[in-house]
Amino acid sequence: MILIKCPYCGYRDQSEFTSGGEAHVIRPKNPQSLSDKDWGEYVFYRNNPKGIFYERWVHSHGCKKWFNVVRNTATDQILKVYKVNEKRPDLSEFENTLKSPSGEPLVGSGNFAVKK
Amino acid sequence: MTAINNDCQYISKNKISFTFDGKIYSAYDGDTVASALLRNNVRLVGRSFKYHRPRGIYTCGIEEPNALVQIISEHNEPNTRATIKRVYDGMEIISQNRWPSLRHDFGAINNILSPIFSAGFYYKTFMGPKGFWKNLYEPLIRRSAGLGKPPKNFRSKSTHQYHNTDVVIIGAGLSGLAAAKKFINTKYKVLLIEQDCYLGGILKNSNKVKTINELTPQEWISETEELILNSKNITILKNTLVTTYNFTNHLIALEDKFAGKKIELNKSELTLHKIRTSNTIITNGHIERFISFRNNDLPGVMLASSFEKYIHRYGVVPEKEPVIFTNNSSSLSLLKKLISLGCKPKAYIDSRKKDNIETEIKKILKDNDISFFSDAEIEGCDGNKKIETITIRQGKSFTKLKSSMLCVSGGYNPDIHLFTQSKGLVKWDKNILSFKPDTPFQKTITLGSTSGNYNFKKLCDEINEKLSILKTKKVSLDINLNVPNKFSINELWETKKKNNSNWSKSFIDLHNDVTIKDLKQAITEGFDRIEHLKRYTTNSMGTDQGKISSINSLAIVSKMLKKEISEVGTTTYRPPYAPLSFAAIAGRSTYEFYDPERKTSIHSWHLKNNAVFEDVGQWKRPWYFKASENETMYQAVQRESKMLRENAGILDGSTLGKIEIKGRDALEFMNLMYTNAFSKMKAMTSRYAMMLGEDGMIKDDGIICKISDQHFIATTTSSGAPKVLADMEEYLQTEWPHLQVFLNSITEQFSTFNISGPKTREIMMKVFPDIDFSNDAFPFMTFKNFDYKETKIRIMRASFTGELGYEIYIPPKFGLKLWEEIFSCGKEYNLIPYGTETMHLLRAEKGYIVIGQETDGTVTPIDLNYNWMIGKNKKDFIGKRSLSRPDTSREDRKQLVGLSPINKKDIIEEGQHIVELNELPKKITNPIKYLGHVSSGYHSPNLNHSIGLAMIKGGKNLLGQKFFVTATGKTKNIPVEIVKPVFIDPENKRLTS
Repeated sequence: MILIKCPYCGYRDQSEFTSGGEAHVIRPKNPQSLSDKDWGEYVFYRNNPKGIFYERWVHSHGCKKWFNVVRNTATDQILKVYKVNEKRPDLSEFENTLKSPSGEPLVGSGNFAVKK
Repeated sequence: MTAINNDCQYISKNKISFTFDGKIYSAYDGDTVASALLRNNVRLVGRSFKYHRPRGIYTCGIEEPNALVQIISEHNEPNTRATIKRVYDGMEIISQNRWPSLRHDFGAINNILSPIFSAGFYYKTFMGPKGFWKNLYEPLIRRSAGLGKPPKNFRSKSTHQYHNTDVVIIGAGLSGLAAAKKFINTKYKVLLIEQDCYLGGILKNSNKVKTINELTPQEWISETEELILNSKNITILKNTLVTTYNFTNHLIALEDKFAGKKIELNKSELTLHKIRTSNTIITNGHIERFISFRNNDLPGVMLASSFEKYIHRYGVVPEKEPVIFTNNSSSLSLLKKLISLGCKPKAYIDSRKKDNIETEIKKILKDNDISFFSDAEIEGCDGNKKIETITIRQGKSFTKLKSSMLCVSGGYNPDIHLFTQSKGLVKWDKNILSFKPDTPFQKTITLGSTSGNYNFKKLCDEINEKLSILKTKKVSLDINLNVPNKFSINELWETKKKNNSNWSKSFIDLHNDVTIKDLKQAITEGFDRIEHLKRYTTNSMGTDQGKISSINSLAIVSKMLKKEISEVGTTTYRPPYAPLSFAAIAGRSTYEFYDPERKTSIHSWHLKNNAVFEDVGQWKRPWYFKASENETMYQAVQRESKMLRENAGILDGSTLGKIEIKGRDALEFMNLMYTNAFSKMKAMTSRYAMMLGEDGMIKDDGIICKISDQHFIATTTSSGAPKVLADMEEYLQTEWPHLQVFLNSITEQFSTFNISGPKTREIMMKVFPDIDFSNDAFPFMTFKNFDYKETKIRIMRASFTGELGYEIYIPPKFGLKLWEEIFSCGKEYNLIPYGTETMHLLRAEKGYIVIGQETDGTVTPIDLNYNWMIGKNKKDFIGKRSLSRPDTSREDRKQLVGLSPINKKDIIEEGQHIVELNELPKKITNPIKYLGHVSSGYHSPNLNHSIGLAMIKGGKNLLGQKFFVTATGKTKNIPVEIVKPVFIDPENKRLTS
């Protein structure tokens, strides 16, 4: 259970929140003008990186407000929390954060718990 | 024979009695099951998991692999570690995994058959024939291999407790207490957690430490405990074990509220502590490991430090004349204690070279004339259900000794379990031959032996230095020892067998009966990665998680693979650290507290009128009403359905979700959320509407009432209401924040009744004599508000049965009264109550769909032929673009049709397949072409034959064609005709009458 700082309520346990997947995927203004491929990209395709991820959360058992979170999916560290109407923080802000708990490669995982 | 250590201060002199396998034994208050059994000279306590080998007590704590027992007096609680479970007066205990008795176990035949039960045996052997696994092998294996039997009639009252603290100290041993001392009267809120009921750890479990700051260990513990108790910022939790170390310093600990006492049924027996902290200090010490030799599982083999703990902590010397086998310097304290108690070890075997053994040890052995074997090892031991002889190898010579107990020390492992759970990195330390914590991932500090520091003299500096990042006081520890300050160890994991035999075993995992031979075989078969090897052999996968053996297996495997142990690595440590009762995890979320039951205001009436209930989401809804004791569900539904179409019926529809949508932009919002067009819709009218996902698939349906362009009320399905509201809220906040709309759930603000049938109008006129219910004044799909007695009601003309119908909305406070009023007025018209099953039958006759029955997340409104519901002129709504995707515009999608049996006596069953064959072949060689499935199937009492709704590929173009429907347990299929999905009143004459 990670600790999440709701921008409206403060620190709360993860069990109060629901994850809403990737953030900054904007619903097209005029869907009818989109090609099947572009519309398909919007509906069905999402990024799922190992590392820095911009994602949406909702304080579903609290104030019910949606907000955005920058989380490292490899370390589960929440690096930034910001409101829906706030600017997306630049990736460079997170350059000096820990890449993974055990220094394993970018793709895949394995038993790297032992330092050589 | 056992002896008593009268110096022990942790056992009271109160005698108690308990039973083990039916026999009565006496013990002292404060004993564990294991110490009590040892006190009574009981060495055989259980049978092993796979081979049913006799097993005894191996350790004196949480790490126990063998001595698992079942507590009959605690709801049959299984797999309880005898080494930590405290006894109380009247406790009933039995041994596990044996039949008919512990001494004579039929399952022991597995030991003789053991050469065939090697690693991967189950995977290789029980492959076929089909069905044998489920019906024969699995039940058989489950009966013979395994542990205790599940608890019975147990209603747990466990509770959860939450903590928010600055510092958690895990383990109140020497390092834990010294660390806690630093926080006395500081600004930090500290939680000190100890698994035992006494503080002190190694200080109370051994005599390794002689004095601290010139006090005896016991005096120092008492002094420190008092200082801590007087400090308001520190809380001590005893009998509490930290099992889990999660992300963001979240810990879970289990407290046994009834340690050493009989459980009281009306009180919480376990408390699960959920702790959020800023800093975690791990001081949970070390665990001794064993050495593998031939028959290293015989009752009588025990870890040396556990033997020592029984003497100091429980006052029992398990055996006066044990043999001691060690590869390190720590056994000196045991030797000293035994001599001081007048006991004389039979032999002392040290694998270290004579020159490397401490002079003090050599002197004591010589002075007391104890047989001494240096640079030697135990080859193995033999005996029937206990050790009888022990074979010692020294160089090329073998010596046989008669003894019943063997104390083994293979060195110590820092208890890194919690540290690695927190995602900290460990590294191999050649001096202590074990893994120790290296880089922490969270705010974690390890101290003392947990951090790999086995040097008592350096402990004080370590604590002061590592805690200097926090504002704490300085502590000083002046420690005098009974053991050498410098820890010395010689690498020894397994000893060589004299003869090779298929039946002799050196165990590497006592709990799961894994032998060194199994490890070798797994590597030969290619399972050379440690994680694979673990799963293939089940090594360290028992309830003890290989606490005394997992590092040994890594070392042995690394030697077999000719690799460094750090290259082999450890397996992943996962929570829980020790078994955790499901009752504790569930806490109060059990039985009626597990999921709340929601009841309507009419519930009491339903109960009185013999309703049988169905769960819809959390709601209790009447499924059908029994007219008489013997009426079956089928009979009741047939009767209700017929009566309604002849007279009238009423349904409690209060569970339907209701959402109020208000605000400047409510109309625009509704146009975007639903498929239908609401702009031209007149005020005070209603419309059946559908909500899609962006993929174009139907998510929910309901009736939308338009009060004005700024005010709508939407009904949803009973179970879909929370999701629909959440989805609306999501779009409002994230996609269209410019829209000024407010949403409110009003499901529970109204009781809702659906009354329908040809005589409905007469009944309504009698209940509400002032209201004009004529077709002109009150047409289909309109609604009106009225004053009714001291409240207000809303009546809408709508129907889900296909008959003339009205929906009445009234505040729940007045609901039951109105319901009863309707019944007294409806009596002369034969008004009946009906349940959800009749509702489903009637709507199927009319061809109305049910979300989740006809639809399954892959159905569009076009598939249902509901094109009329799609606002084609609207620029956009959720899912609109997807309705013209290549996939959703395919001609051969599954589409809604009706089914009518050609032979009117045939019954169409829900869920059956629709095929082209009139009969299924006896042996199926090729896949049978599948056309679709029956989504609803009922016997219609009004048509007097079975009917069905079905989703069939390209169904719209198949009207009038003949196909077949499969039937349960038959190869002959039912011939059916594809018809329009409306069986009653296709012209809607009844609806608008």
